[in-house]
Amino acid sequence: MIEFFINGNPVKAQKGETILHVARREGYYIPTMCYLEKTAPIASCRLCVVDIKGVDGQILSCQTPPTAGIEVFTDSPNLRANRENIMRLYDVNHPLECGVCDKSGECELQNKSLEFGIASQSFSVREPSRSIQKWGLIQYDPSLCIVCERCTHVCNEVIGDDAIEILFGGYGSTVIPKNSDTLDCTFCGECIAVCPVGALISSEFKYRANAWELESIPSTCVHCSAGCALEYEVKTSNAGKSIYRVKNNFEYTTLCGAGRFGFDFATKNVHSQSALFDQAVEALQKSDAVRFGSMITNEEALLLQRLHEKTGKKLLNADAYAFKQFLANYAVTAPTALYEGTLAEVAQSDQIILVGSRIATDNPQVRYAMTMASKRNKAKISYMHSIEDALMQSIVTQFVKYEVGTEAGVMALLAKTFIDTSSDKALKAHIDSLDEGYLSAESNVGDDELAYIAKVKQRAKKTTLILGEDCYTHANANLIAQWAGLIARTTNIRVLMVPKEVNTLGVALICDVVDEQSAKAQSVFGYNAHGDYHIGVSAQDALAMPALNQQEGTITSIDKKVLTLNVALPHEGYELLDVLRSVSDERFAHTIELTPLLPQSSGYVAVAFDDLFNVIDAQGRDTRGYDLRNAPATQHALPALVEQLPEYNGTIIYHANPVLQFNALTAGIAALSTEAVLVGSAQFATAAKIGDGEKIVIETSQGRYERRFVLDESLKGTVALHPTFDLSSDALPQGYRFAKAKISKR
Amino acid sequence: MSRIYFSTWRNEFIDNRGKSVEEQTASSFKLPETYEGNRDSKAFIGWDGVALFDADVDVVRLATEYAAQYQLYSEACGRCAPGRWGGRILYDMLDKIARGQGTLADMEHIKEVSKTMMETSKCEIGKTVPVPILDLMQHFQADFLSCIEGQKASKHYDASIDYIAKVTAPCMDACPAHVDIPAYIEGVRDVRFDDSLMATRQTMPLAHTCGRVCPHPCETECRRANIDEPIAIMELKRLGADYETDHGFGFFHPVAQKPKIGKRVAVIGGGPAGLTTAYYLALEGIDVDVYEELPVLGGEVAVGVPQYRMPIEKYNQDIEAVKDLGVNFIVNTKVTADMMRAFEKEYDAIMVATGTRISKQVRCDNEREAIQGYWGAIDFLDKINLYEKYGYTLDEATRKKHNIDNEFVDLRGKTVACVGGGFTSMDVVRCSIRAGAKRVIMLYRRDEATIIKNTTYEEYHEAVEEGVEFIFHSAVAKINDENDVMKSLTIDRYELVPDPNGGRPNLEKVEGGSFDVEVDYLIPAVSQSADLALLPKEWEIEMTSWGTIKTNGKDFMTSRKGIFASGDCEYGPMTIVNAVGQAKRASSVMARYVQNGGEVTLTDSEIMEDHLRKMRVYDKKEKITGWLPGLPRQKSEILGVDERKDNNREVNFGFTQEQALDEANRCMRCYYIAMVAV
Repeated sequence: MIEFFINGNPVKAQKGETILHVARREGYYIPTMCYLEKTAPIASCRLCVVDIKGVDGQILSCQTPPTAGIEVFTDSPNLRANRENIMRLYDVNHPLECGVCDKSGECELQNKSLEFGIASQSFSVREPSRSIQKWGLIQYDPSLCIVCERCTHVCNEVIGDDAIEILFGGYGSTVIPKNSDTLDCTFCGECIAVCPVGALISSEFKYRANAWELESIPSTCVHCSAGCALEYEVKTSNAGKSIYRVKNNFEYTTLCGAGRFGFDFATKNVHSQSALFDQAVEALQKSDAVRFGSMITNEEALLLQRLHEKTGKKLLNADAYAFKQFLANYAVTAPTALYEGTLAEVAQSDQIILVGSRIATDNPQVRYAMTMASKRNKAKISYMHSIEDALMQSIVTQFVKYEVGTEAGVMALLAKTFIDTSSDKALKAHIDSLDEGYLSAESNVGDDELAYIAKVKQRAKKTTLILGEDCYTHANANLIAQWAGLIARTTNIRVLMVPKEVNTLGVALICDVVDEQSAKAQSVFGYNAHGDYHIGVSAQDALAMPALNQQEGTITSIDKKVLTLNVALPHEGYELLDVLRSVSDERFAHTIELTPLLPQSSGYVAVAFDDLFNVIDAQGRDTRGYDLRNAPATQHALPALVEQLPEYNGTIIYHANPVLQFNALTAGIAALSTEAVLVGSAQFATAAKIGDGEKIVIETSQGRYERRFVLDESLKGTVALHPTFDLSSDALPQGYRFAKAKISKR
Repeated sequence: MSRIYFSTWRNEFIDNRGKSVEEQTASSFKLPETYEGNRDSKAFIGWDGVALFDADVDVVRLATEYAAQYQLYSEACGRCAPGRWGGRILYDMLDKIARGQGTLADMEHIKEVSKTMMETSKCEIGKTVPVPILDLMQHFQADFLSCIEGQKASKHYDASIDYIAKVTAPCMDACPAHVDIPAYIEGVRDVRFDDSLMATRQTMPLAHTCGRVCPHPCETECRRANIDEPIAIMELKRLGADYETDHGFGFFHPVAQKPKIGKRVAVIGGGPAGLTTAYYLALEGIDVDVYEELPVLGGEVAVGVPQYRMPIEKYNQDIEAVKDLGVNFIVNTKVTADMMRAFEKEYDAIMVATGTRISKQVRCDNEREAIQGYWGAIDFLDKINLYEKYGYTLDEATRKKHNIDNEFVDLRGKTVACVGGGFTSMDVVRCSIRAGAKRVIMLYRRDEATIIKNTTYEEYHEAVEEGVEFIFHSAVAKINDENDVMKSLTIDRYELVPDPNGGRPNLEKVEGGSFDVEVDYLIPAVSQSADLALLPKEWEIEMTSWGTIKTNGKDFMTSRKGIFASGDCEYGPMTIVNAVGQAKRASSVMARYVQNGGEVTLTDSEIMEDHLRKMRVYDKKEKITGWLPGLPRQKSEILGVDERKDNNREVNFGFTQEQALDEANRCMRCYYIAMVAV
């Protein structure tokens, strides 16, 4: 703790804080143009200079930590003169096209020019000729660019794409794609978010609205389980109300491209459905089970659970069922009922082990947290999977390739690597009884690889173990969960699980879902899922239901946080509560009346929807919603031994989606539109006897898919990536994502 | 006779305008009055002032050209708003005046923009470029005003004058390899480790190595020391190299390798100088064969520097980067004079980089190779490192000669004395501790402060912690043996006697202070000499008085055309970075030599580099502004003494990311532009 003074008043700095940090925390204004809280100080704008008594010259506050007792002054005639001059230089040759610029009204250059009273240009130089770059969803106008470098820093230090860089050339400096002619990235659009001027903009949003015409609706992204805070920006025109864009509090939060560009998924054109409504009520009454997806709110899940409790109708949701079983098995050995890790902890880790996920596309936010851990803490990252991911190379320090299907063996080997058994004979005997030789041989995870992980662990201050979807969809998921739970109980390693859908965790905690086989349902009612009669957001559904940006409610995120959804767009038709009023006699007027009734036995808290905040404050504190209470687990049992590992031979595909795509919802969004193709390495193409661009048929035990094959030179190995985002609920493969496949040409 | 006409350089104000020869004052600085050979300079202009050597200099154009050089530099930079636009405006307005179209308002604008640049630019270059320009505007105001008032071009506006500029920095100047240190530190600061590594590799291929075991002369001339402590320059180099290695990237070369040009060079010796020569020649598209006597590559860094200081797997990464360019390595091959004769015909040029691998004697009584226990430091370290790093076991003859009962150098139960005081002797004693010796003694003629100065504070203290006994002011007088087996040493003690005339104190023997100490081994590590038997006698290659190959220290060609020399065999036993610096320069000369028909040339950049080094860029008396003093230098964590003294684990963990960024943020980016008008 360092004590010093700002403008004569005493302040304190924590270790690692700069003068600017402290000033902002304590409410002293220092102007900046390039500064970004979530990256290393960029230090390009020089506006943040301050005076320090007794020190000659002006000090850059963004990168300078205070020393004890210094007296900092944030404003003086000389500081102001220099800041004015910097703004004059920024304004040199800046095109006066504010009238048509997307950024106008929320432009930091405009704001600062006004603040410093720069009314005219006293210098000019010859402007180099530069043209607008069109990079798909993103556009770049170099003549508007002030080369603050925020975009390149965020792309490298937070996202991990490292897809853009500055082509340094004095006043002709521009942003260019790195090592590529055109922008080749995951199109998260974070560069647009952080751009202080109109240089980097959304191609879709261009010229559509002025900043001041838009109304901002804070909500939570629904594309994956990360629970990202976002703001839908809406405007009412002759065509009605619609969402124009999505923004995020870029200083502290980050969105992926699906969240940013994939907002157009509201259920539209819903008119006079009363006849259909009656049909739906009748169908639900007749059915003995409800099948539903995990893209629903906690409150809807509770409605369905109450339906089950009142009527005995079975609840079917394969995704949530698998996750629920996984959590239950984890609790058998773990210290707490739920995993303890969070995204923030991942970002703070200096060792990360990821098992069973193609994380960059499964959950971009987990990837960003890993990127931040790598860039901020030089985290050693062990990426354990059967397929390498070139996107992750710049942050992964060790790729451990295990044989398809051997996740349980990998987890047991990790437990053996991490757990110190010297003071617990029973534990030692149990772990020693694992057939390490067999597990190692079958999984192909070697001693040297585990030794590296152990060596890193010795030095690591914070280790996080991330369990992807392959862990909980696996036939041996119970073993994986139990061994992971044992690691959580006997070491200081934090475990984070990655639920698949926006509310997989919520449904797993709220609903008594059962598996399809044991349910033996005769007549199934589908809610956002297939069934004998089905309602939902898809055009194929009989009765149109509101999408998640048309509802109030909460979801339970990967961070075990209960987060709110708000209504960005109205829904003209019926909602689930309407149906249930008729079927199970629910008396609620609004779905959010169920928010305080969420099961406290699962960790939910009795708090009303309207009492939940949706704010990330000026200091970056996430005050959204609330955290689930994570009760201590009591069994503290030993995991069952891993004895037999499955073998996968022949042609194998892995169900994994391309960037920006997660499911049928993203598939239906025009801005994200992409072709669903099978992507494989040259080695795969040779083995499967197919070539780049060929039309093929893929047959697995779960289905038949007609695809085009695309050869990807950056892929290695013999497993191809097969997308599922475009498949409807009934065609969607369930369970473990690796599948034996027969591939033939069409 | 000084030719100075006018100077503001480093606050030494000299104005010889209109003065008689007797009245003229001379400069105390080594200014580049002569550019090269018989080419005189007209003026020198730089970050701290301007010096004119000639009354006829067109000062308006000089200022304009200096601003133009900054503009050129900022064409490659553009990292801050004041520099990006300020530099352009400065140049545009000066040129407007120089070509006869300026106004008095332009003079005021120049001063205003200069002020903002000087106070808020990101690096020193932006802060200092206005300095000499404002000096000229002040002291030669009439010249500027006459251009403005007469609306006429300055007097030599269209004359053909060479303006030769060089960007430097105190640390770059001090580094024998002239590594672009601010750039690689900026890469760390920007969390762009690939950029950092590529900046290092422009002139320094051994980034892992010189990120670990460099004595870092740059840190002695770091400007940050003027306000608190120097930047930990060396350690920050590791980050880029570790990034490349940790993520399994290929190799980030500083530039794309040129296509083959059909020229061949032989490099004799696979140590730092040889590897560096090979690397930069290969980048130029030249085929390189490297001949190495030992079975392993890397020279003394591989077989001399111990594993705990320089892990071989890291050094091998540096070597792999050279291999990646297609350099051909031939190991286990000691080059002979006959081979050299053949090479001279076969290759377009030859680099001799064979180091100094003969341990010099301590010069005491009864000092004989035949005594068992007398073991030269180079051979001793060879044997240890070949086993520890590569698994080569001792052969029967070595075991017998040195009385070793194991297949590796096992010193359990033995007492080892080393005579030295430099890095090699530190390696000997610390390796002896790790080899299990029961007692390890370092005998040194001078005192503790000197041994720290000659090595590093860390090295000395780590050795003390590990249990090495240092006996200062001592020297071996005699080896005592029984039947050619070493039993003890007779040690003389010395004391420093002040010189009554105020000179350097003398070491004088303390009469009656001698004593005996029982030892099993005496390892002389006083110095090394070069084995140059490979040079054919008839070539009559010129040598220095201390037995190394003579060159002019600028182009590194020996007295025989086409035969170059660099590293310790040229300079005498010195540092890795010195060898790299020499070899980098030599490879640049050689690349031109093989292509332009055997002409030895230096580039303007290289000539300026030498001028600047002579002048010294660093000024330890300079008062620094614009930086908050008192920010401590970061220290990386090291292994505890009990964790390290019995094994070869790397002692230094390197910086954490947070430490690295904090340290990088202390760097003041002291780039400067120096320019000579010829």
